[in-house]
Amino acid sequence: MSVLGIELRRSAAAGAALITVTVGVAALYTAPGRWSEGWMSLALTVKEYMILLWPIALAAGAWQGRREHRAKVGELFATTPRSRARRMLPVLVAMGASVGLAFLLVVGAGGLWIASTAAYFPPDVVAITLVGALSLVAAAWLGLGIGRLLPALVTAPVLAVAGVLLVFFTAIMRPDWMGAIMSPAYGSSPFYAFQTIDPRVTAVLALFMGGLALTGVLLLVARGPRTSVAAVLPVLLGFGAAAAIVPRDEAALVAPIDPVARELVCTDDAPKVCVTRVNSNVLDALTPLAREGLAVLAKLPDAPTQAHEERWAYPVEDAPTRDAGIVTITVRIDDHGGLAHPDAVVPEMVFGLGTGYGNPECERNGAVERAAAYHLLGREPVSDVGVIPEMIEEEPQLNAEAVELWQGLQKLPAPEALARVTAVRDALLACQDPTGLLSR
Amino acid sequence: MRAVSTAETATTIHPWAVHAEALKVRAGRHLAVDGLDLSLGTGVHGLLGRNGAGKTTLMRAIATVLKPAGGRLTLLGSSVDGRADLRQARRALGYLPQHFGYYPRFTVREFVSYMAWLKEMPKRDIPAATQRAIDRVGLSAKADAKLRTLSGGMLRRAGVAQAIVNDPQVLLLDEPTVGLDPEQRLDLRELLRDLGTDACVLVSTHLVEDVVAACTEVVLINEGQLVWQGTPAALAEQGDERHPGDSPAERGYSALLRSHLAEATR
Amino acid sequence: MTLHLRARRVPLALAASVGAAALIWALWLTLSTERDAILLLVVLTVMLMVAVLSTTLAAPDEDLERTAALHWPWRRAVHLLAALAVVLVVLLATQPTGARFGPAALVVRDSAGLLGLTALCAAVVGAARAWFLPMGWAVVAAMFPQSGTWGALATWAGQPHTSRPAAVVAAVLAVTGLVTYALLGAARRE
Repeated sequence: MSVLGIELRRSAAAGAALITVTVGVAALYTAPGRWSEGWMSLALTVKEYMILLWPIALAAGAWQGRREHRAKVGELFATTPRSRARRMLPVLVAMGASVGLAFLLVVGAGGLWIASTAAYFPPDVVAITLVGALSLVAAAWLGLGIGRLLPALVTAPVLAVAGVLLVFFTAIMRPDWMGAIMSPAYGSSPFYAFQTIDPRVTAVLALFMGGLALTGVLLLVARGPRTSVAAVLPVLLGFGAAAAIVPRDEAALVAPIDPVARELVCTDDAPKVCVTRVNSNVLDALTPLAREGLAVLAKLPDAPTQAHEERWAYPVEDAPTRDAGIVTITVRIDDHGGLAHPDAVVPEMVFGLGTGYGNPECERNGAVERAAAYHLLGREPVSDVGVIPEMIEEEPQLNAEAVELWQGLQKLPAPEALARVTAVRDALLACQDPTGLLSR
Repeated sequence: MRAVSTAETATTIHPWAVHAEALKVRAGRHLAVDGLDLSLGTGVHGLLGRNGAGKTTLMRAIATVLKPAGGRLTLLGSSVDGRADLRQARRALGYLPQHFGYYPRFTVREFVSYMAWLKEMPKRDIPAATQRAIDRVGLSAKADAKLRTLSGGMLRRAGVAQAIVNDPQVLLLDEPTVGLDPEQRLDLRELLRDLGTDACVLVSTHLVEDVVAACTEVVLINEGQLVWQGTPAALAEQGDERHPGDSPAERGYSALLRSHLAEATR
Repeated sequence: MTLHLRARRVPLALAASVGAAALIWALWLTLSTERDAILLLVVLTVMLMVAVLSTTLAAPDEDLERTAALHWPWRRAVHLLAALAVVLVVLLATQPTGARFGPAALVVRDSAGLLGLTALCAAVVGAARAWFLPMGWAVVAAMFPQSGTWGALATWAGQPHTSRPAAVVAAVLAVTGLVTYALLGAARRE
């Protein structure tokens, strides 16, 4: 029987892999909405859960690393010709392959869920996933080395906590570029759907993790204290090389934008409805709703003729200049990768009367705008709670006032009511207070 | 009988399997082996001595666990006292320490195979050699049981199995009969006699009757030095009714020790 | 003699737990601008101390221990309470310092609950592996605390110190763990 087979059966490799897969899959599937948007979302969410997976691999390595000391085989093994390095090889392969494979299985388990709905597969996902597996292998090997160096029972729990603290605090540390090098969870905070991770950031993480892995190996196979001291070299070299390559500018480090994911994919016929490539699987569901909204807005003169997905990356970009012919829609994805809250699409399009977010410094009047919008929609105004997904509460007077204004509009002849609503829209466009325009 | 490789049938150029000259070995800070001269050839050599006489330290030095602090030690013709490459010698070595460390989760077969791999046996020979070693110690029924499920005696036999798996030319067994019941001890003596026909076996033990029954030669050491070396029959002749002991060999043992101590104090 | 056997591991565990807590305290003191340590750090420090101290719950040679069955439940209970005392003294001692690990109610709740859970696990899977489940639960609870009653029960260790459901869970775990470990002792595993 091969020694590698023995090690796979009798070492901590199988247990570590099982725990990794269980924790990873459980973490993913308790909140599938966080990653159902697509492959990059999945990759980023798994990266975020490295805060759980990386310490598991580290502690498992430490648990395994004290085996020779615990079993007191030192005297017996000293009489054998096989060198320590060659003796450690099967353990390294068994532990590394197990946790690396477990990681890929976790990603695969998520991939099964989104395979039918995710429309765009960014090539960066492959690199991110492979470097993620490398990070776990590095953790296992580093744990093995430290466990051999400090073979006490307390080593594994201490390393588990140290691992969590390391992954967490390096992910949020300043300067950013250091965190990008050192944290397996860096860059995983989701800001928008077309976010990615700069290939250089992935590369520097690989360099640092490679250094950690080699350090672990050296600690494990070192025969004396002198070689053990030399073990710090790989991690220092890895960090140094990474520091030379890592981008220092914020645009590349913090939520960089994937231009291909952000490209618009549109319907062939008019009125045109467009979504970003990463969400292109919802285009079919969105199109009839968007066209319904456009039809409602078409009652106004000079109404928008196209509906696009809102693509503003607000943490990193200034507000885009508004195109009069286009109304933007906020696209949300549900737990299964489809369009979430379809009933909110038309109301959200009509609120604001097709003028967009507008300048925050302009004077607005919520009741007036709501009354105008619901006049176009042809029904009585209701509270935003239950219509707009993120609204949880609202002032009751707001809707009462809107209903009053709306009833006033219903009493007017249709062309006059429409003219007043148009006046409200023009006021919004001109950054003027629309108060009183409906009730003169 | 051992299986011999072609390398071994080449003319041996070393007269002794184990040869020590003025050997000094430290155990901690204490010089446990202090100026020992010893030559061992093929056969079963019983190592006798009081507690603290340096038996285990001597075995460890021959097993290349400890590096000698002085003197010369050669194993199968190659020197093992300096910084020389010990791998050649270790491939022909079998060792069972007094405190046998093992992996409890491994089965007997897995552990013996693992040790065979550690002794750099050719991969294709390992399964057969493992089975043979397990059969020779009488553990065939328990070959696939985990080591932690074995009783003390069976564990010792598993230890002997790993020591003989590579058909060593030098076999060192430190207290191999500890925990064995009388029948198992008889089996082990039989095995030792068999092994001693073409290998140098050094057995350290407290039990004089084991030495008499299984060994072709007795080596008596005290306080790190060689006191006496000879056949068990010769050992029995060394003593008479004046000396304490329940058997001739025991009386011979006490007689030799007494005279060695008397000489030392002189 | 049994005390000597245990004594070989207890000093190391004490030193490691207190030393690790001191290191984390010193790091927060020097690297952070806030005086109060964040919840994640407090919970993890508690769990670290509990896990390290839990390695003393079984001596290396349990067989020698089970000779005087009458007195052992009390000894084990005292041992566990002593461990709790160590955790509480060390962490509550940070209150007047420049790096506070609190609030005190949170430290008491999580220490008692996690130590109880660890002792319970020790009675089932042995002292060496006892910290696996509590560590995982504590990390998840501290990283991803949930709101709502069920969420507060599930992620009790990460709830604010005012949470009633979390306090109940901690109390149940503490008492159950104490009683179970005192009566059964640590399971014997390789």
